[in-house]
Amino acid sequence: MAALKLILKNNISELDHLARFLEETGDQMGFSMKLVMNLNLVLEELVTNIIFYGFKDKAPHEISIEFNIDDDKIAITITDDGIPFNPTLKDSPDSINKSIDERDIGGLGIHFVNALMSSMSYERKDNKNILYLIKTRD
Amino acid sequence: MNITKSNEGQITILAIEGRLDTTNYNELENVFLEVFTAEKFQVILDLSGLEYVSSSGLRVMLMALKKISAAKGTFVLSNMRDSIHEIFEISGFTTIFKIEKDVNAALKHF
Repeated sequence: MAALKLILKNNISELDHLARFLEETGDQMGFSMKLVMNLNLVLEELVTNIIFYGFKDKAPHEISIEFNIDDDKIAITITDDGIPFNPTLKDSPDSINKSIDERDIGGLGIHFVNALMSSMSYERKDNKNILYLIKTRD
Repeated sequence: MNITKSNEGQITILAIEGRLDTTNYNELENVFLEVFTAEKFQVILDLSGLEYVSSSGLRVMLMALKKISAAKGTFVLSNMRDSIHEIFEISGFTTIFKIEKDVNAALKHF
């Protein structure tokens, strides 16, 4: 079992930092390339949402991502002090099986989260959004 | 990310290498806009060097597909790694994009 924590600023360039952190952690923990990519996809979507829509002021904010890594699962907790936002209430888009013309541009990100993680739950506590994710390891 | 543009007759081939994500998807968007402004709607993407694509990158590809379809052109993706193909499957994109194993097979669509 290992516990790791990554703090990102609310700047989109921090996604590079996230990607490097996941690659290094994946190397150390023996994650498959697919697992590293799937975690990166999910966290990119969630962190991007927080950075773009979470903050109404121009002040710097921190987004904390904690990892608790076991042999059989990875538990991730994302905490931010942005406006209340519960991603578990967003459904995957219903356009996934539609034709080119009907396909819209939005909603893919939350679809990735739903499709690639084993579970997700949300809590608003002390004026913070706390999102709990679990990824079962193959 | 690196994007290399080449031509095979009237067909534009864009080779994308590296990571395509929220930090750089606009670079690919700009290349597509240049290609479309030049009235070129016969396009192949060579994705042999694409290591990672997030929903931002997929949105640019969907935008390109819509523009090319509207202009009655042809858009074919090729050389996709298995890990990238899985992301296309999850997105439901394998049913709307033409996907071939390499550029030679993609050229047969034109």
